[in-house]
Amino acid sequence: MQNQPLQFQQIGLPEATEELRAQVREFLRSEYPASRRRNSDFTSGHDPEFSQALGAQGWIGMTWPKAYGGHERTFFERYVVTEELLAAGAPVSAHWIADRQSGPLLLRYGSEAQREKHVAAIARGESYFSIGMSEPNSGSDLASVRTTASEVEGGWVINGTKLWSTDAHRNHFMVALVRTEAPSKNRHAGLSQFIVDLKKDGVEVRPIRNMTGNEDFNEVVFTDYFVSAEDLVGEPGNGWAQVTSELGYERSGPERFLSAFRILVELARSLQEQAARGEVSQQQKAQLGGLVAQLITLRRMSISVAGMLQRGDSPNVEAALVKELGNNYEKLVPEVARLVLPLQRRSGQLNAALQDTLLLSPSFTLRGGTREILRGVIARGLGLR
Amino acid sequence: MSSTDLSTNDLIIDTATRIFADGCSHSVVEAAQEGVWAASLWTTLADNGLLEIGLEESGTGLGELFEFLRVAGRFAAPLPLLESLIAQFALGKPTSDTTFAVLQGTTVEIAWPERFSAVVALDVALGEARLVSLAGLKSAPCEVMLGEPVAQIELGAAWQAAADTQFAAPGLYALAALGRAAQMCGGLEASLNMAIGYCSEREQFGRTISKFQAIQHQLAVLASEVAASQRATDAAIHSLVASQSAAVGTSSALEISRLDVRLSDVAVAKVRVGSAVGIGAEIAHQVHGAMGFTMEYSLHQLTRRLWSWRDQFGTESDWAELLGDEVCAGSADDLWAYITSHG
Repeated sequence: MQNQPLQFQQIGLPEATEELRAQVREFLRSEYPASRRRNSDFTSGHDPEFSQALGAQGWIGMTWPKAYGGHERTFFERYVVTEELLAAGAPVSAHWIADRQSGPLLLRYGSEAQREKHVAAIARGESYFSIGMSEPNSGSDLASVRTTASEVEGGWVINGTKLWSTDAHRNHFMVALVRTEAPSKNRHAGLSQFIVDLKKDGVEVRPIRNMTGNEDFNEVVFTDYFVSAEDLVGEPGNGWAQVTSELGYERSGPERFLSAFRILVELARSLQEQAARGEVSQQQKAQLGGLVAQLITLRRMSISVAGMLQRGDSPNVEAALVKELGNNYEKLVPEVARLVLPLQRRSGQLNAALQDTLLLSPSFTLRGGTREILRGVIARGLGLR
Repeated sequence: MSSTDLSTNDLIIDTATRIFADGCSHSVVEAAQEGVWAASLWTTLADNGLLEIGLEESGTGLGELFEFLRVAGRFAAPLPLLESLIAQFALGKPTSDTTFAVLQGTTVEIAWPERFSAVVALDVALGEARLVSLAGLKSAPCEVMLGEPVAQIELGAAWQAAADTQFAAPGLYALAALGRAAQMCGGLEASLNMAIGYCSEREQFGRTISKFQAIQHQLAVLASEVAASQRATDAAIHSLVASQSAAVGTSSALEISRLDVRLSDVAVAKVRVGSAVGIGAEIAHQVHGAMGFTMEYSLHQLTRRLWSWRDQFGTESDWAELLGDEVCAGSADDLWAYITSHG
């Protein structure tokens, strides 16, 4: 008998996190009343004021060292805060990437100067980062990026185009993955990461309307853009190892299965009202209950990954698995909900949540690693590649 | 003796794995499908104390009971282990001749009826069970996917006659459902391992089929379903063991009437694992090609159990309805709190 390749340890959130959860709920009740909640997607609300209020609460950079403005709390505590924010539909987009992966990247690979310049500002909810990975001809095949950085006196000159960079038109910085050496046989060699100031000359940020009608992601064009040597993150040529080290953070969190949560809330509300009048069938309850069972399980798996992060593991495969299941779930929720209640019996809120989520849903299995890439990562974890 | 003692658990898993690996061969399972009792395997399990697992005097608890069932599921063990262990747990004492069944009208369905002289019959709606003697009762054979002998037995007057044995057993149905979930987890794990093993050896187009992306993606989906099943089942077992520990705290032995099972945790497990079976068994067979469709190859021994077990002690719909009921009884703005209360 072979050993099971992927294990999600039975682990619960520590009892002490409940007090924190209550604090977050109270904060959201007072700062962010229910009437404004519409969507639980993590890209749906860019609100610097809200991000700064969160920073003031100590809820950004929670696991980071106090010396850099962090709060030295556990990954479980961070988990509680992030899931409460998403479930409430809070506007978290401004600080989300910086908190989730740019900060941890700089703490792990960045220079002392970079940490001092950026990390505390991120934790205060004042400094926002975008991801600079994809390009017009480099999507899933990230190692094929063509944007280059050439070394010059005192720094580097970047040329090329980054694509699908969410909030680059609103955020302050981007961590860009670029080629610092010509491509060689080792495709993963010769890549480096730079912190790029998106407000400086030489970079043009062009918003791209997505099919929801919103302008969230961007094309970012660099033309002879100068970055100083101090803005290189880590060692030149180490970009691939650095970028893959972010994946455990990027793929396992509650944002990978809560994007459709508003639908579930509004579906429950509609069914509760109809149940009070005795108008809900066993089948409708079972359909709702089936979605609840899946959500509870996904959440438990995600908490298991938080436990691995807390132990200092690199759960890249487990994170890919949570994202694979979670994204499929986010797409399943509207499909089930629309059949539970025909159009005429849906509330306005349920219909709004369905429409918003469906229009966003193609992105669920694309952003942060496509379904196809994730299944490849899982297959590798199974020893098949 | 703590029921969560890790070393006891590991020892039981190791012992059970060794016994099943030796004594639960392809041919033993195949023979059982023709009605041949796996006598030697049953005796070896009994000699090693594994047929009294979960009872206080055996120094084990529900955690060990479910882990044992998971191992049994991995090997497609063709024995009424769950029924026997649940019956003993309900009675709180070892018995080698009593099985467990759910009352359907006035009848019960019993696997391997020749082996048993009595049944703990559970009225699910009332949450009450009686110990009913099977002697002299009318029975008719049932056709089941497993091929093992199953009899439908009319309890009738015997149920009435057993009125004085009646006891409250509110959590018993959930224990049985979770036992099936644990067995299904084992069966899914074994199916995944067989699929990975087969695809890593089978060559087509000049390479092992595990090198094809189409196959890799199918196996990734299967592995994801297995992982979700394990996580949901582990959480339900954990919840149950915690409630057992709490109940035992007030006296030396646990009485089934005081076992406080959180039904929603069991529901999540039975729903999640049951849906994984549909997806997982389909993939395991597809990647095996026609070989997996043969009687000679062992995959079907797992598959026919997975397909049987997901229907027993409540389907996904039955248990999902319980969750839907609980959610509908609250307010929509409390849905999130309901989710997070299931840690």
